[in-house]
Amino acid sequence: MTYRTQNVAFPYFVVALLLFGLQVIVGLWLAINYFFTVPQDVVNVFSFATARAMHTNLAVLWLLLGFMGSTFYMVPEETESELAWPKLAVAQLVILSLTGVTALVGFLFGWTQGRPLLEIPFTLDVVIVIGVLMFLANIGTTMIRAKRWTATQGSLLAGLVFLALMYLFGMPFYKNLAVDWYYWWWVIHLWVEGAWELIAAALTAFILMKLTGVDRKVVEKWLYVELGLFLFTGIAGTGHHYYWLGAPKYWLWVGGIFSALEPLPILLMVVDTLRDVRKRTKPLEPKLTWVYLIGMIILHFIGAGLFGFAHTLPGINYYTHGSQVTVSHGHLAFFGAYVLLNLTFFYFAIPRLKGLPGNNYDERAGHWGFWMMSLGVVGMSLAFAVAGVLQSYLERMMGQSYMLSQEPIRFWMFVVFLHGLIVVAGVFITIKHLLTLKPAPAGAGGGAGS
Amino acid sequence: MTEKAAKWIFWLGTLSSLVLFLVLTVDTHSQFAALTHADQLDEQVIAGKRAFEHYNCNDCHTILGFGGYYAPDLTRAYTRLGSDTIRRRLAAPDVAFADSYRKMPQQNLSEQEIADIVAFFRWVSEIDNHDWPPQHSEARWKRSTERLMAGAVLSPGAALINQEDCLTCHALGDRGEKIGGRLEWIGSRRNSAWIAEYLANPEAFAPGTEMPSFEHLSGEQRLMIGEFIVSLDTAEGR
Repeated sequence: MTYRTQNVAFPYFVVALLLFGLQVIVGLWLAINYFFTVPQDVVNVFSFATARAMHTNLAVLWLLLGFMGSTFYMVPEETESELAWPKLAVAQLVILSLTGVTALVGFLFGWTQGRPLLEIPFTLDVVIVIGVLMFLANIGTTMIRAKRWTATQGSLLAGLVFLALMYLFGMPFYKNLAVDWYYWWWVIHLWVEGAWELIAAALTAFILMKLTGVDRKVVEKWLYVELGLFLFTGIAGTGHHYYWLGAPKYWLWVGGIFSALEPLPILLMVVDTLRDVRKRTKPLEPKLTWVYLIGMIILHFIGAGLFGFAHTLPGINYYTHGSQVTVSHGHLAFFGAYVLLNLTFFYFAIPRLKGLPGNNYDERAGHWGFWMMSLGVVGMSLAFAVAGVLQSYLERMMGQSYMLSQEPIRFWMFVVFLHGLIVVAGVFITIKHLLTLKPAPAGAGGGAGS
Repeated sequence: MTEKAAKWIFWLGTLSSLVLFLVLTVDTHSQFAALTHADQLDEQVIAGKRAFEHYNCNDCHTILGFGGYYAPDLTRAYTRLGSDTIRRRLAAPDVAFADSYRKMPQQNLSEQEIADIVAFFRWVSEIDNHDWPPQHSEARWKRSTERLMAGAVLSPGAALINQEDCLTCHALGDRGEKIGGRLEWIGSRRNSAWIAEYLANPEAFAPGTEMPSFEHLSGEQRLMIGEFIVSLDTAEGR
């Protein structure tokens, strides 16, 4: 850590990690719902719908808080100046956390907007917008005052503004269901395959420059190409969600063609990262940070790129749309792209915030956490995929009723649950490890290259 | 690659995709009214959508394929179930799904809310979305029934269905109403013995149903109706 105000990042990481823990526990309960018959009396007060709203909103909330914390860490170093208003950053965390907790408790009492992933009621949406405006004002002012523009922070700021703008499209009530979903995807798709990718590319570029010591000019040149490809494929690629919602038929062509290209920018990101790692001028230390970095780009490519491509062509999507195939892709993509990105950044930033010697730390427990989470989520996604293919075949192709087609799926949901247990254990090991990072033990290779 | 070329790729890629997307968005809006029959989007349908959101139905069910994947897709709920079946399930899910391994929460909806949601589902079921989902395709049901009727001598079960005026409430092929379930849909889920028993006493299976009893028919006749309905289920072409 070079700048005092980078410290505001730490409480963001703490809150994000605690919400992450809560998210995966609710996930276990959702899996139980699939293979165990929850009694009517329990369903009446705590339905699958309520739990799902909590699971997904917790995911979005903690990932966003993680991005914000990472931004507060990165911007002072990129601008070579202190944050404009560090106290505002703390106030913003309090506001957003309280809003998030209020929303979660509200779900339990049926206070919801009732639209998947965007369940947070309008009143709370307004508070969130205020919190995000505080954030953008803080970051924007810091950058403008510093007048030291880099492509990396430009990409970060663009991603954050893009993210905030798209959120607005999810707020109003739409009378027409087709129009409703049309703009719902402006939030969901243009976030994860647009704005969030800009943020991910910026944060990854920043870490790569710091960790590998590769020249900024090289990293940022390829950043432009990555971003160009992300946005070229991602914006029009929104069309792959417009196949079956009552929109004109040309979306089958536009969505199919552009989204078939969507793996390309991710592949470029993999190639760029591996090239930077090969050309590094600094040692691979501590090893865990690198394991996270490489794990992230590989699972980002498999989860978002390959699993996404697998069911994006209209001819296939006609049978797999809205099945467990989507769930499989969703879990692996979110984990690979955004969960691991946040955790990579935390592992990069926390030792520096704590001023551990040589930015190194005792990494042993962290490896367990990484592998349990990653293998758990991969196994879970494969089980979801089997369930999804079964469902697509039995229900969509053979015309079985939904509940009949769900019978063989119950077993696979039990397999999901078993993997979920491993994930939860891995998550808690990781949380504990990150929040209690200790200096590397003497003689364990620490500090050699610092 | 030079940095200049990289910047060109960024701006060309971003702007070309953005322009295409925005132009198509404008065009899509000009077609939504026709594709979704927006002229039939009345106050009751809107009230139904509000109720649908108020009770967070969409986090278990999908509609147009979006939402939770825990319960059946509702895009064509009206087409396959009919208004009476939907009404009963919404009014007393604990009864309707008593034997199911997955439960639907009892939300104590008012009569008005139920009527609104039925109107909403009816409107949704008519959205022209390139015939998705495949398993609830009305066009395919109609085609397969047409084939069956053309190829077979009129079966006694079919004659009984005419004689008893089943299509005053049920849909079959191109004909009928959507108060009870579509007969092809029932045929794909039930066996003939079950249908025969149901016909004798619908109230025992579906408390509160509008369907009258067909006890005046003989057991054999009811079974014939059941066999005909089950024969509507063609595994091909779903």
